[in-house]
Amino acid sequence: MGRYTVRRLLQLIPVVLGTTFIIHFLVWQLPGDPFAGRCGDRPCAPAFVAMMTEKYQLDEPWIFQYLTFLKNLLVGDFGESFNGVPVAQILADTWPVTIRLALVGIAFEIIIGIGAGVLTGMRRGGFLDNLSLVTTLFFLAIPVFVIGFTLQYLLGVQFPIIRPTVTPEARWDELIVPGFVLASLQMAIVVRLARSTIVENLRSDYVRTATAKGLPRMRVVGVHLLRNSLIPVVTFLGTDLGNLMGGAVVTEGIFNINGVGGQLFRAIHLHDSTIIVPMVTVLVLVYLSVNLLVDLLYAVLDPRIRYD
Amino acid sequence: MTVPRADAERRAESGFSGPLLQVDDLHVEFRTRDGVAHAVNGVSYSVDAGETLAVLGESGSGKSVSAQAIMGIIDSPPGFVTRGAIRFRGSDLLTLSDEQRRRIRGRRIAMIFQDALSALNPVYTVGFQLAEMFRVHEGLSRGAAKRRAIELMDRVRIPAARQRVHDYPHQFSGGMRQRIMIAMAIALGPDVLIADEPTTALDVTVQAQIMELLAELQRESEMGLILITHDLGVVADVADRIAVMYAGRIVEEASVHDLYARPAHPYSKGLLESIPRVDLKGSELAAIKGQPPNLLRVPSGCAFHPRCPYRREVCVTKEPPLFDVAPGRGSACHFWEEVLDGR
Repeated sequence: MGRYTVRRLLQLIPVVLGTTFIIHFLVWQLPGDPFAGRCGDRPCAPAFVAMMTEKYQLDEPWIFQYLTFLKNLLVGDFGESFNGVPVAQILADTWPVTIRLALVGIAFEIIIGIGAGVLTGMRRGGFLDNLSLVTTLFFLAIPVFVIGFTLQYLLGVQFPIIRPTVTPEARWDELIVPGFVLASLQMAIVVRLARSTIVENLRSDYVRTATAKGLPRMRVVGVHLLRNSLIPVVTFLGTDLGNLMGGAVVTEGIFNINGVGGQLFRAIHLHDSTIIVPMVTVLVLVYLSVNLLVDLLYAVLDPRIRYD
Repeated sequence: MTVPRADAERRAESGFSGPLLQVDDLHVEFRTRDGVAHAVNGVSYSVDAGETLAVLGESGSGKSVSAQAIMGIIDSPPGFVTRGAIRFRGSDLLTLSDEQRRRIRGRRIAMIFQDALSALNPVYTVGFQLAEMFRVHEGLSRGAAKRRAIELMDRVRIPAARQRVHDYPHQFSGGMRQRIMIAMAIALGPDVLIADEPTTALDVTVQAQIMELLAELQRESEMGLILITHDLGVVADVADRIAVMYAGRIVEEASVHDLYARPAHPYSKGLLESIPRVDLKGSELAAIKGQPPNLLRVPSGCAFHPRCPYRREVCVTKEPPLFDVAPGRGSACHFWEEVLDGR
């Protein structure tokens, strides 16, 4: 497995080069002027534009920009945004928040998703199963922003249990409701996925064997049924952790969370390539690393899979 | 036959002298969307310590379902035991609590399944799955259970057991996997072993080895063995008695010798005639006409009548009971005398 891991890590290099190249290219193809609307109501003074063009070498071709970016990245320099803030600072501010939010979300998916999936799979056709069928359908059908605004209104305004918006520190407890909102759709998918694999494996021969061995029901389910059933669920959760980290624009917007998604959204809006490119690069790296971890975990869960 | 010492002791323990395991008028039905499938309709058989009973029948005859009913592993719903008794050492298993049944399962009555690859859990080592028997039922420590697992693997003659104990089921050959299954079943020295088509998934040479192993283990430990099969060839060498099942009923019960020499039911006769024989090479193989019955719509009267060459009026209207043909021998055919005489 060691050699496999090294090979996968080496594969990261061309992937990161390729994705950053494409991102760079696309950002520079965006129509519009990065200095439109940057100076309030009036157009920016020609002197300011000239100064910025000079500072960020904006009159050079984009391929030059790309190479400069790579060169700086190698020494760990993410550059400065058009506002003069170091991008490394922006990353350090937003990433911890996004990671906390994603972890809260994934915790909901694991605890509620797998829990409900297993319970309903074991008692197929029962009350809980039907209840969960309707509830998951609800979460699958309703857009995230509707769930977000509804919960914000109900829990934040109508029955003030939480603050409607999250403070800049974004503490764990403040992220519970936003994390639930963020993960609601995927949670419903996990419930259904876990339920169907449980139902399928419940009738499998090795579960019958485990019963025939006279093992207690708890052990048949907890040891024999669960581990096999969780393999596809773990794959889904892994790929989804990557999604949760990058795709929180809507949730972050609703609850005013200063995370990666919102920051990226604003940067794209302002044509600030100095922020977009490094941020997406880190996103790509995170996504790929999580995927690698999932693939390795997959081999741990299922010994029939061998990497060499 | 003299009663073996081990068996005498066991009987003294329980103070019971009837058959070791006795299935009496067992009914099992499956309630499906399309209707109720009567998988087992009043089956009775018994097995004694050291005895081998072969339960013979084609797919859907109810032979496996009756075994699963003994083990208490029928998926319920849709499957329900609706009538009958399963007496183990005289006490009816069907009246026991779930927990009492669990303690008997795997420990006093164990079962071997057909396809060991799917019957073993793919994500645990065979050592773990064997050791689990000792850890759960006897509360042994991890290390002690592992040592017992290795002993077991030696006992079913798996080479290099000490190393292979850490391997996963998919790393074994078919024959070795079935040995693991057998090891798991005999782990706690059960009184009754049910083998459900133990050799069907294996090739012929391996089949013989596995049957030999089962016969040997049975001799050593005086287990009662219920051998479920559709293969008459497998039965001939190892079984003492045969119960032939058709459409959830026993249609003939006899000693192996009697059944092979002079079958007393048209179905058993048809089965025997459909075995390929070297001396009849070149001539067309006899086959039983028609299809096995649909259990949702079992034919009236004798369920075998649509396929039976002896069919008369009465077969369609009246269900034959199990007639006494000879001591210890029965046939559920109105015309068993004709069949027996080979007319």
